[in-house]
Amino acid sequence: MFSNNRRKLLQASGALAAVGSLGVASRAQAAAPRVVVVGGGFAGATVAKYVRLWNPQIQVSLIEPNPSHVSCILSNLVMTGAAGMSTITLRYDALRTRYGVNIVADRAVGIDTVSRVVTTANGTRLPYDKLVLAPGIDFDAIPGLDSAVLPHAWQAGPQTLALKAQLDSVPAGGTFVMSIPKAPYRCPPGPYERACLLADSLLRRRRAGKVIVLDANSDVVAEPHTFHTAFQTTYAGVIDYRPSSEVLSVDWAGKKIVTNWETIAFDAANVIPPQRAGKLVAAAGLLGSDPATRWAPVNPLSYESKLVPNVHVIGDSQGTGQPKSGHMANAQAKVCADALVRYFAGEQPDPAPMTSSACYSPITATTASWLTVVFAYDPVSGLMKAVPNTLAEAPAPTKGHYEDMFGWARNLFADSFG
Amino acid sequence: MTAYGKTLPGALALALLGAASAYAAPPPGRLLAAQCAQCHGTNGQAVSGMEKLAGESEGEIYKELIEMKAKLKPDEIMHRQAAGYSDEQIRLIARYYASLGKSGSTASTGTSSRNRKSRDD
Ligand SMILES: Cc1cc2nc3c(=O)[nH]c(=O)nc-3n(C[C@H](O)[C@H](O)[C@H](O)COP(=O)(O)OP(=O)(O)OC[C@H]3O[C@@H](n4cnc5c(N)ncnc54)[C@H](O)[C@@H]3O)c2cc1C
Repeated sequence: MFSNNRRKLLQASGALAAVGSLGVASRAQAAAPRVVVVGGGFAGATVAKYVRLWNPQIQVSLIEPNPSHVSCILSNLVMTGAAGMSTITLRYDALRTRYGVNIVADRAVGIDTVSRVVTTANGTRLPYDKLVLAPGIDFDAIPGLDSAVLPHAWQAGPQTLALKAQLDSVPAGGTFVMSIPKAPYRCPPGPYERACLLADSLLRRRRAGKVIVLDANSDVVAEPHTFHTAFQTTYAGVIDYRPSSEVLSVDWAGKKIVTNWETIAFDAANVIPPQRAGKLVAAAGLLGSDPATRWAPVNPLSYESKLVPNVHVIGDSQGTGQPKSGHMANAQAKVCADALVRYFAGEQPDPAPMTSSACYSPITATTASWLTVVFAYDPVSGLMKAVPNTLAEAPAPTKGHYEDMFGWARNLFADSFG
Repeated sequence: MTAYGKTLPGALALALLGAASAYAAPPPGRLLAAQCAQCHGTNGQAVSGMEKLAGESEGEIYKELIEMKAKLKPDEIMHRQAAGYSDEQIRLIARYYASLGKSGSTASTGTSSRNRKSRDD
């Protein structure tokens, strides 16, 4: 306690010295600290909300071009028709009115990390003391693939409806081909969940032909017990799972997909391309010079970039190796918000942050499984590491879990956006 | 690590001097407790379909989490979550929620919960 006070005093005198060296300080300079957040998904919305919740003296601007966020979470239920778009459409009103976040309805196009200014498409310039980037993911190009025509639906919104149209277009006995990129990608169990719901949907419509799952990975990436059981038992004869199969090109007109093994004809398809940090992250120099770096290297105590000072990266764009989930994006946002609040108080970040993920996956129209893990900071390696005994999947999909899924999602939506 | 975090820009330094109390360090347990909020609501105020933590006593929350950790039932997602935290961390979480009271009001910079740290476990 004493040493803590002493440290604060020292910092205050340091601050005085800084003021002195500036000469006469204007009123403008005494303005509140400014945090600018780019991207209003789970990560960006949560960090904007929690900085304001925890210290309303800090000004927060959130740059996001869309009038509301369409959540990927539960979006596979929109694909099947079990839920509507309104269930997954999350508004920014509460961030603005309850927490006083300044919502800038525009796209960030430029970042000057030296003079600390973000520029938006319409030319607005937003100066920052701390910048948080949360732009989600970007995709690799696949020859012949135009996602506007053949949706990935790995960002929700119009893509989700385009995927629903693909599913609805499958003729009786037809073939649906979907592909899974190499890990790490957004939502480890997500593609397998989608495969199950495609099969379930076709079965219920009595149109069951085949769902061919091309997985670039050598085995199921998440919840292996749940999904192997689903593929081999629940959906035996419908789901045809092909591991180590990478999509090399797509022939949309000829309705064929070429993999490292074979050429497969489809009636409808869903190609999910390999992923990397949102474009802005690379543009701001946060990936460094090695083109193999896909996710921003950050310090997990604060999510500050290891390459550029005062720029933090959270959510799917960051590269700490933690799973890319909405729950996790929210968790990281809170660690970052806490570090920002401490920073403006002249304090170091919490030395022992925790994060976690919890995901529910529908397996049939009435049952769901779950996946969970807790991460702790390891001071020796400087990494976030899974705590022993916390990584687990539900022993079996149940109706109870299916109901819990909606309670879980409602609360995650509210904690991030409400 | 870099030295960037160490020197505050002049404007911030001024702001700090002007309103030192508003920039106090967070109360202990707040960040840990916030990791429950994804499911149990901001400040423990769950919206629906999940248990509220606001209004529960320190003893209740502590006991429940410690028991879950000891049991680890395979069909209980919450047992796995509890297993991620040390007894001391669980104590901090329980104490923080208890300090918010039933209304779950925001102890944004409160030094009062910091003082509670001296109370013996
Ligand atoms: C089918 C599917 C199911 C899923 N299920 C689950 C689940 O059950 N549980 C779970 O926890 N997670 C789930 N996820 C994962 C979850 O959706 C992501 O991990 C989460 O959305 C990541 O949050 P984010 O904030 O990093 O990115 P996003 O949510 O993608 O948000 C990024 C935001 O940044 C904005 N943006 C991008 N560039 C700019 C720019 N230049 N200027 C301004 N704004 C910009 C975008 O418009 C977007 O709103 C699922 C994902 C999918 C695809």
